[in-house]
Amino acid sequence: MTYIDMQGISKAFPGVLANDAVNFSVEKGTIHALLGENGAGKSTLMRILYGIYRPDAGKIVLDGEEVEVVDPQTAISLGIGMVHKEFQLVPSLTVAENIALGHEPSRYIWVDRRKMKAQIQTLVDRFGFSINLDQPVVELSVGAQQYVEIIKLLYRQARILILDEPTAVLTPQEIERLFSILEQLRDEGRTIIFITHKLREVKQICSRATILRRGKVAGCVEVAESTERELASLMVGRQILDIEYERSKNVGEVKLCLRNVRANDDRGVPALKGVTFDVRGGEIVGLAGVQGNGQSELVDVIGAVRDAEGEIFLGSKDISGMALRGRRNDGLAIIPEKRKEQGLNLATDIADNVIATRYFKPPFSKNLAVRSDQAEQFAAALMDRYAIKAEGARSLVSTLSGGNQQKVITARELADEPDVLIAAHPTRGLDVAAARFVREELVKRRDEGGAVLLVSADLDELFALSDRLLIIYDGEIVGESRPEDISYEEVGLLMAGHKHG
Amino acid sequence: MVDGMKDPDEMEKKDRGDVLRLPDSSQAAVYNFVKVLITLLVALLMGALVMELSGKDSVAAYRALFQSSLGSRTAIANTLLASTPLIFTSLAAAIGFRAGVFNVGAEGSLYLGGFAAAWVGFTFTELPALLIIPLAFLAAGLVGGFWCYVPGVLRARLAVDELVTTILLNYVAILFTEYLVNGPFLVPGVANAMSEEISLAARLPRLAPPSQLNASFIIAVLTGLVMVFVMTRTRLGYELRATGDNPIFTRWAGISVPAVIEKVMFIGGLLGGLAGAGQVLGVHYRFVAGFSSGLAFSGMTIALLVRNSPFGAILASLLFGLLRSGSATMEIFSDVPRDLITVLEATIIFFAAMEISMQFFRRRRHER
Repeated sequence: MTYIDMQGISKAFPGVLANDAVNFSVEKGTIHALLGENGAGKSTLMRILYGIYRPDAGKIVLDGEEVEVVDPQTAISLGIGMVHKEFQLVPSLTVAENIALGHEPSRYIWVDRRKMKAQIQTLVDRFGFSINLDQPVVELSVGAQQYVEIIKLLYRQARILILDEPTAVLTPQEIERLFSILEQLRDEGRTIIFITHKLREVKQICSRATILRRGKVAGCVEVAESTERELASLMVGRQILDIEYERSKNVGEVKLCLRNVRANDDRGVPALKGVTFDVRGGEIVGLAGVQGNGQSELVDVIGAVRDAEGEIFLGSKDISGMALRGRRNDGLAIIPEKRKEQGLNLATDIADNVIATRYFKPPFSKNLAVRSDQAEQFAAALMDRYAIKAEGARSLVSTLSGGNQQKVITARELADEPDVLIAAHPTRGLDVAAARFVREELVKRRDEGGAVLLVSADLDELFALSDRLLIIYDGEIVGESRPEDISYEEVGLLMAGHKHG
Repeated sequence: MVDGMKDPDEMEKKDRGDVLRLPDSSQAAVYNFVKVLITLLVALLMGALVMELSGKDSVAAYRALFQSSLGSRTAIANTLLASTPLIFTSLAAAIGFRAGVFNVGAEGSLYLGGFAAAWVGFTFTELPALLIIPLAFLAAGLVGGFWCYVPGVLRARLAVDELVTTILLNYVAILFTEYLVNGPFLVPGVANAMSEEISLAARLPRLAPPSQLNASFIIAVLTGLVMVFVMTRTRLGYELRATGDNPIFTRWAGISVPAVIEKVMFIGGLLGGLAGAGQVLGVHYRFVAGFSSGLAFSGMTIALLVRNSPFGAILASLLFGLLRSGSATMEIFSDVPRDLITVLEATIIFFAAMEISMQFFRRRRHER
């Protein structure tokens, strides 16, 4: 029986259609996966269900009745609860205080603390959480904080629980415990929407999965009847690229070389487990993988912003111990993954952004001074060359469209014709024209002899551009092939962690 | 997809952009200037309100205040005198804040720098003015710079909160210098906690007697102009602005953020030290325990008011100097206590802090 039915939901933000006529329905008493890459529209859809955003079009039917979810309060009163990626807890308050916050039982004008704790204790006992109600939340592990979030929803009598990437911050043991709690909740008749991009977890705990891709529903499948491989290919999709790119004619010397590189992620868990590969001049090497398998950490390590073991060479020079400034001077350029955070200084203008990697060199720097006129000339030349639409060199980058922002980064990184270019998701979220432009720049750099490492979640892009594909899974390179010699399905299989053989 | 952007935050950033930041920088400068004027006006009104509520004649008080700060040649000289240390300390605060570093340590640097200058002044008594004055300023700058450099290193390398360390180190510096003039450098026969007098050669020339206005004002203005150049036109200026705007971006561009933070903290301390030297060599002619009365904190108020613009800091220092020098006479002639200035400064902090926290919350809201 369909319990939640979101019909024809559309939501546009300036320049992007985050949800495009999305139909999303969930059966009562099931765990339903909402799958998709970053920016696919998952969070937008769930924020609409939870009342944070209002949809431009479409309606929400809950248990057969059309409802207007105008704000989260309405959502809570309808029995909808959401655990956000960043927990919404007050660190200094105790577990019990956090759970009851805003819904405390009262006696006259006081909070009835005894009743509050008794109610919460009942919930805790019923689900077998091991948690001390009087402990301040700040002292809890991340896993325990998540229990607090879940108990908070139960305390508010949520019948629908939306969990936004609940496992992203948990250890494997904590994930197992979370799953057994979710199963218990499901068996009680509650409905759970599980936002994730981890296929294994979908297989383990979800009965159905809706896959979003670029704001649209790419598929809705019975999990039991589909493989991880199928889910992976639905996620990354088959977008028909309008242009075919020629393969490299001239593969040269090794320009970037990684040997047995190991690194941890932000939690201290190994994210790269001995990565070894080469990129040669005149080739684009595409790195394929489901998000969260070590790609981001790999780019961090090459950019010297994350500690690592192992050796990295630029040409024949060992750069393992060098800071990013030195690596950049030796011919490395990086288009980082997070455009607005890592790639741009949104508080300032185009000129200041494009000189970020060269303000200390002539002609931009003379003695100790940075020459504003040179920066502006340079910016104007790049705007011309890369067709960046803006009023002038001193236009703030925050006023540019996403496509033009990405062009600013691309222009900055390619202007000195780097020997080695790392491009992390360089076309993500861009419109067709801007994406094509960026791709052509990568191809051009390759044709001029540069080595390009393209990290992308878009298999079509990888197949179209790469001269060689590497597949990363769980911090290891699990496959390597020329795109002509491998099928989408095989790549999907490797991305899902099924090794060759 | 239509031309453009990926996610909803961007829309809101754009909306905000219209409010907070005008595309054209000269337009933005005018806009900021107007904002500063409004803040000052509100502060003066608030001061008037407080005076009226306590039964004082606010018009007469303000008249006395402006008369005694601008009414005569000496009055103007006294205004410039009062603004001299503020120019140093406001720039000390501004350079830190602009780089996203909350350096509160200039007060400590001011005391230690002041003592170092005094020590040079009463120790190397044989040296001529042309040697001893630069030497005294140099010693003050280095000691002051080092005092903030240490918390800078702790912040940059070990993520130790510089706000906490510099606040605590201020007490260390203030009490340590007090100990010095009560202990090792105690002057026999003097009741107050102060050092020996510095040599005549070390005293900065007076510019407009009978006012105490002295050459340290010129040094302050020149230093201020150098700081304008440093913060707006140099490599370090570029680096510190980028760090203040977005340290993650700065790191990905290949700039060493820890090195920038250390330099900025050193310069902040150095300016604090120079402020102390200026007061010792130009006004007191000796180190007097507790001589600052929160000069560095007024400097922080100024930096907040002008939102870390170095040029704005110089101008606003003159204005604060006006209020400070006028308030003393106002107290005598209108029975309004000089603490009125504290009311004005507090109002300014209140508005500046409100604006900053509003920006912060707006950002927080839109990031969700």
